[in-house]
Amino acid sequence: MALNRDFYKAVEDVLGPEYISDDPVVTESYSFPIRAATAGPKGEYLPRFEAITLPKNTREVQAIVKLCNKYKVQFKASSTGWLYSDPAGPDCIKIDLRRMNSILEINEKNMYAVVEPYVIYAQLQAELMKRGLNCNVTGAGSNCSALPLAAHVNLGHLSQTGSYGERNQLALEWVTGDGEIVRMGSLGSSDEWFCGDGPGPSLRGIIRGNTVPLGGLGVFTAAAQKVYHWPGPPTFSIEGVCPHYSPSELPPGFMIRYLSFKTVDAMIEAVRKIGESEIGFELMGFNAAMMASNVATDNEEDLRYFKQFSDQVQGPGFMVNIAATSQRDFKYKKRVLEMIMEQTDALSLKDVEDPKLGAGFLWRFIRTVGSIRETSRATGWGGGTVGGTDVFPLMTRYIMYTVDLKQELIDKGMILDDAIYPFVQSIEHGHTGHGEILIRYAPTNAEQMDNIQGFLNRAANKRAIEGRFGVPQHVWSDELHDMYGPEACNYHMLLRKIKKTFDPNGASESSNYITAKDV
Amino acid sequence: MALEDLRNEMETCRRCSACKFIPLEKVDNYEHVNVCPSIARYDFHTYSAGGRMVFAVAKLEDRIDYSDKLLEVVYNCQMCGACDVSCKYAMDMEVMEPLYEFRIRCVEDGQTLPALDKVINSLRKQGTMVPGAKAKRGAWAEGLDIKDVTKEKVKVLYHVGCRTSYDKDLWKVAKATVSLLSKAGVDVGIAGAEEVCCGGRAYQMGYKDDFLKQAEQNLETFRKSGAEILVTSCAEGYQAFKVLYDKYGMQPDIEVLHITEYLDRLITEGRLKPKKKVNMRVTYHDPCYLGRLGEPYIHWEGREIPGHIRVFDPPKEFRRGTYGVYEPPRDVLKSIPGLKLTEMDRIKEYAWCCGAGGGVCDSNPDYAMWTARERISEAESTGAEAMVTACPWCEKTFDDAIRESGSSLKLYDVVELLDKAV
Repeated sequence: MALNRDFYKAVEDVLGPEYISDDPVVTESYSFPIRAATAGPKGEYLPRFEAITLPKNTREVQAIVKLCNKYKVQFKASSTGWLYSDPAGPDCIKIDLRRMNSILEINEKNMYAVVEPYVIYAQLQAELMKRGLNCNVTGAGSNCSALPLAAHVNLGHLSQTGSYGERNQLALEWVTGDGEIVRMGSLGSSDEWFCGDGPGPSLRGIIRGNTVPLGGLGVFTAAAQKVYHWPGPPTFSIEGVCPHYSPSELPPGFMIRYLSFKTVDAMIEAVRKIGESEIGFELMGFNAAMMASNVATDNEEDLRYFKQFSDQVQGPGFMVNIAATSQRDFKYKKRVLEMIMEQTDALSLKDVEDPKLGAGFLWRFIRTVGSIRETSRATGWGGGTVGGTDVFPLMTRYIMYTVDLKQELIDKGMILDDAIYPFVQSIEHGHTGHGEILIRYAPTNAEQMDNIQGFLNRAANKRAIEGRFGVPQHVWSDELHDMYGPEACNYHMLLRKIKKTFDPNGASESSNYITAKDV
Repeated sequence: MALEDLRNEMETCRRCSACKFIPLEKVDNYEHVNVCPSIARYDFHTYSAGGRMVFAVAKLEDRIDYSDKLLEVVYNCQMCGACDVSCKYAMDMEVMEPLYEFRIRCVEDGQTLPALDKVINSLRKQGTMVPGAKAKRGAWAEGLDIKDVTKEKVKVLYHVGCRTSYDKDLWKVAKATVSLLSKAGVDVGIAGAEEVCCGGRAYQMGYKDDFLKQAEQNLETFRKSGAEILVTSCAEGYQAFKVLYDKYGMQPDIEVLHITEYLDRLITEGRLKPKKKVNMRVTYHDPCYLGRLGEPYIHWEGREIPGHIRVFDPPKEFRRGTYGVYEPPRDVLKSIPGLKLTEMDRIKEYAWCCGAGGGVCDSNPDYAMWTARERISEAESTGAEAMVTACPWCEKTFDDAIRESGSSLKLYDVVELLDKAV
């Protein structure tokens, strides 16, 4: 469908001709998926965006959104952009926030940072570390937007001490679906970003819930987030040439281990004890396959490491590291960890104890750079299923309750056999937890994908509901909200009212969030 | 390998955007995080390697066709290879190969830019990639006591390259090279007026047949010279002789060295002794074609084993920029008394491009200048008074940008500084 030329001209007047394009070469490059094998059942591709826009600031975003409402054009905004927020209907434009890339403030005294959407976590973390601070980094990687609301749930490797998006979110600047600028929290009554709840309007429960709206509720143009104490060096001195990077040694006060356990119960107990004693800096329930992918620099090496690590683990496990503020602190934390290992019969993976290899693991986990290797290197395609965020044992048991589904796919040769242990992670020293099953496979056609990902989705959703495990964090459509809503206090009705209130014309394309149908 | 054969490589792209940034482990501040000049300048995802993979697949499927816009995007890329390194930190897929092959396909289909056609016509008619050059090839050596390899045998053949030969401002580098080699007692000669273009730039621009013709001519020159070592002070020439010729099964029967590698060897052997102080604080710019793209070509023939992880029979080693020429130029600089080397944020395999590559200096000089200014600003931020490089294309582009921007940064080739010290 051709875009209304008056609309195009009006946006062009706002941005300048250099920052809007409806040329097929440009719109095609924003397409998803790119390979025929992953297109729809009849080989069809999703509709392309009608145009791509590149605003520089909130005023320009607002102007685009208002024009979209006026001309009945939908928009979808994104920043660094992993795949799944991109599919769009016809008559929809893209707001690419790439030019909004400033760190607006790092407030060392009050420990928060304010960023625009296209600052990536690697940049923010690097600047924070120089100031003795650190931030949570979304688990997808430090290549992703540092805006806590841009990054799905925003859980990450650092969530043990650095929490996640929902809890780190402070003041926010938001262009609603109908083009109003809302300054949330303290920003609503002053120029200060220190608080998400006031003085000023507190809308934290509006702008996100179980997950973020995935571009379906307007545009978040800047946000503040909590930052945390960083006991490590201002920079890591990294040796080697790509891809063989590694710190020369573990910084003083740091230690990393990969622990495996004979039973899930033993692992849960170890997580509880580490949380209770608050000795863990990061605690991420990787399995042997993810540890192998993290360290390996190619797929061949990945398979070798996987075998090597698999031979050394005794069951489910996790990576834990320690970051101490003093020698005394380090001795204490190390001793406590050793006691917990003893009490839970934990087995430490010897390769991770190697100072050089361990230092590499440590930095990759802190900077969060292994995620692409872990999820995408095998074939460039993967998937899986995710749980929600609730108490750690419940989330662990939920995800363990679904692992036989993965086993079924492995047994049929439909996915990579990288063992079935899911990864589970601890948040805020075990206050809550989260689990996921990752699968990797080579896509060949829509039917095969439905037999893999579709099967997994359907079965995992059924079990989540039947087992009363709460709402998972992959609920990204009307269909799924309609399925989960009646099981969870009809939350979807409220969500639709929110959508209707803040986006009355449905301009903010929300196929990955929820529509205001029936409201 | 035809573009069609690279389809699986392109489709393996996960749109993670790693190709836009320096390897994330190496980010240690907010600034200088970008690695790809094209996406940094033009912002649309289209201009990133990831975007290029997507529209290349779309072109294969006839979902898009040739257009002015397509060519504008295709050729607004320096083919600097930075995306390839950053992607392959995590992924096993080819990035540069589809970019090369897309350009080759464009040329085969007659879809080129007039500015690049002009350069190639210059190569075909005048034998130079510097259209409109007034000087004659080999004129730089007039008055120098140096052997002519077309008339007598030598141990070392010095290939000067188009840019230096036809740019009088750069003759000083060639002369300093000869001066140093003479001081080291090297039996060196040049082909003078008979020297021909390496063809590397033509290949970057997609003119593969022209590249192959140049390669054949050069191989004949090398063979006739009887030289054991081929030395060049042009990074693009080095990459052509060392990597591209090998890629097409035309590996010369001669040791190929960049001048910085050879000088480093001469210093190590004690044949050159830098003694005079050069009191200067400098920063070094890694030329793309000497650094990440200068690593040896890795031949592989085989098949991808069907399955749920991309592995190959026989195992395939991807080129990731790991074995580029990074240390020799630095070692030469470190050997100079009084000279202090300070590094920029983006170095070695993730260095920012000078802006000239891929024909951009001819097809879009403004963009080339923009790219160079970015680098100059980065060099200035180190506090260095001079930037040193090891490629005449880099030097020419930086020189123009420095003049245009009014920067006080000085500019040298590694060879010039060593010549001051010996």
